[in-house]
Amino acid sequence: MLEFFQQIINGLTLGSIYALIAIGYTMVYGIIGMINFAHGEIYMISAYIGLLTITALTVQFGVEAVPLILLLTLTISILVTSAYGWAIERVAYRPLRGSPRLIPLISAIGMSIFLQNYVQIGQGARDLSMQPLISGGWRFGPAEGFQVYLSYMQVLIAVVTVVFMTALTLFIARSRLGRACRACSQDLTMTNLLGIDTNRVISLTFLLGAALAAVAGVLVSLYIGKINPFIGFEAGIKAFTAAVLGGIGSIPGAMLGGIILGLSESFASAYLRTEYKDVVAFSLLVLVLLFRPTGLLGKPEIEKV
Amino acid sequence: MNTISRNILGVAVSAIMLSLGGLAYAKDTIKIAVVGPITGPVAQYGDMQMMGAQMAVEQLNAKGGVNGKQLEAVLIDDVCEPKQAVAVANQIVNDKIKYVVGHLCSGSTQPASKLYEEEGILMITPAATNPDITRQGYQMVFRTIGTDDQQGPTAGRYIADRIKPKHMAVLHDKQQYGQGIAEEVKKTVEAKGVKVDLFEGVSKGQADFSALCTKMKSANIDFVYYGGYHPELGLILRQCREQGFDAGFMGPEGVGNKDISAIAGPASEGLLVTLPADFSADPANADLVKAFKDNDQDPSGPFVMPSYSAVQIIADAIAGAKTEDPIKLASYIHKHSFDTPIGKVAFKENGDLKEFQFVVFEWHADATKTPIE
Repeated sequence: MLEFFQQIINGLTLGSIYALIAIGYTMVYGIIGMINFAHGEIYMISAYIGLLTITALTVQFGVEAVPLILLLTLTISILVTSAYGWAIERVAYRPLRGSPRLIPLISAIGMSIFLQNYVQIGQGARDLSMQPLISGGWRFGPAEGFQVYLSYMQVLIAVVTVVFMTALTLFIARSRLGRACRACSQDLTMTNLLGIDTNRVISLTFLLGAALAAVAGVLVSLYIGKINPFIGFEAGIKAFTAAVLGGIGSIPGAMLGGIILGLSESFASAYLRTEYKDVVAFSLLVLVLLFRPTGLLGKPEIEKV
Repeated sequence: MNTISRNILGVAVSAIMLSLGGLAYAKDTIKIAVVGPITGPVAQYGDMQMMGAQMAVEQLNAKGGVNGKQLEAVLIDDVCEPKQAVAVANQIVNDKIKYVVGHLCSGSTQPASKLYEEEGILMITPAATNPDITRQGYQMVFRTIGTDDQQGPTAGRYIADRIKPKHMAVLHDKQQYGQGIAEEVKKTVEAKGVKVDLFEGVSKGQADFSALCTKMKSANIDFVYYGGYHPELGLILRQCREQGFDAGFMGPEGVGNKDISAIAGPASEGLLVTLPADFSADPANADLVKAFKDNDQDPSGPFVMPSYSAVQIIADAIAGAKTEDPIKLASYIHKHSFDTPIGKVAFKENGDLKEFQFVVFEWHADATKTPIE
């Protein structure tokens, strides 16, 4: 029974990270109906920025206060990564606005290959690794026998995820720009006709998506501690799956999808075999799509006339 | 003529001129392709291989080369990917290079070796240990390293005789090398009466192993053998120790790399690794070790000396057989023995070494190792 709780903790941690990345896919899809395949690479870049910043702060400047390091790293990583998100939209997608759907998709794949190679040339193709900044945790359960372990890092991941998700939800629901985002996702042309600068809203979407991917990237470089230029691909596929599972275009859906995916991977490796964790995750996706083609929380798409 | 076609013409002309320049400057050298991962997650092993081969080429050239010709090492990157390995092998065929030292990973060596055999290119791998590579009945394929069916039993015997685990887990990375060796270990320990409770594969590039750690912890596993490379085992060690799972771990030479300590940190202390004997500790190699140290290189990596030896065997065979024809060289190598930094070597019919020993080392958190037996 205790190991069941441990698996829930493992799954939630993994799921939080998937959810943070999935938001970027879902927001962009919700507004311009495009899948931004370069989003996984954005996450990879942020993991690099996170790791390099932490190393620079601790080694170069001798900063020792962990909260300060976290705050600075998150800020720097969010700023730089958002700039990447914005620039990618500007360079690779905006010139193609209005062209058939397939064309920005191919541009996105090209961008993803470019970014992977760009980091590979700049930082080398090797693994970079870092020793944990935050170690330790709580143990529960009997002194001998199985003890549930909840690390400070896992709590941090959960807290940071909840904080940023709440902030995003509030931003979308309450602010002027958030309202503009929602309007764009309903009808881009009409919103434009009503005098809203839709290009700005789209830029903002990319920026927000990248910022959340940056949070995920920093958390991963802290939690896993080993990165290379290829981590964006797998994380991207998983997060995309999470977004589709929850209903692409829906922000709460992406969060739900991420958590479900994380938990199902965790339980599959625990109670079946580790080999089957991806099989189970993707079978779940197929099942959900069979019965709810728009995902768990997605709204059925009404063809607008 | 419009601008575009003028540009194309310009490019074409300069390309032709460049290639002519290349022809004019090409010296008559004996080219040896050294193929391994120069980039990618296991590039550290490629470093060892390139370092050993380049040192051999330098030293042989300093002694006047082979039959009056200089040797030239052509370093090629296959990223340890089977697909890339085949592309690289085709390139070697097209470039008419006749000798290959490589590849490094078993998964990439196997598909490439087929091409070399068909095209009559002499291949000596200093690192690929999967037994299947030399089971194909090829004449052109050799290796200057042991095989997993020697390494696996060494590890398995050590586990069964010295550790005697009650609940053992065997994990692997589902790759040719990792799974192959994991199966050998499982077979050996089971033959000696140790029960393997868990035999599972993880994915290459997987980053989160916490579920697996929890599973092993709750199954009371007290010893884990991992078949694969260091990036995954490093993370497994780190995440499992964090959860308070304190079983012993053991792995093959693919994990015995200083990067495992960079990834796992203190969790890498006490890891057991089977490696080729440390040839750099052999007094007969003192001069060679000094040459490496003068270059600021570390000769103690498992593939440095085998790689040096592979180049030297090719050179010695060319000198001994007085031909550069790779097919004649292959039969010369089959029949003769060679004095190399890994000892006096001779080959079996299938291209494997007649003798090769793996040793169990204990790994330390500061990336050093001490031999146990």
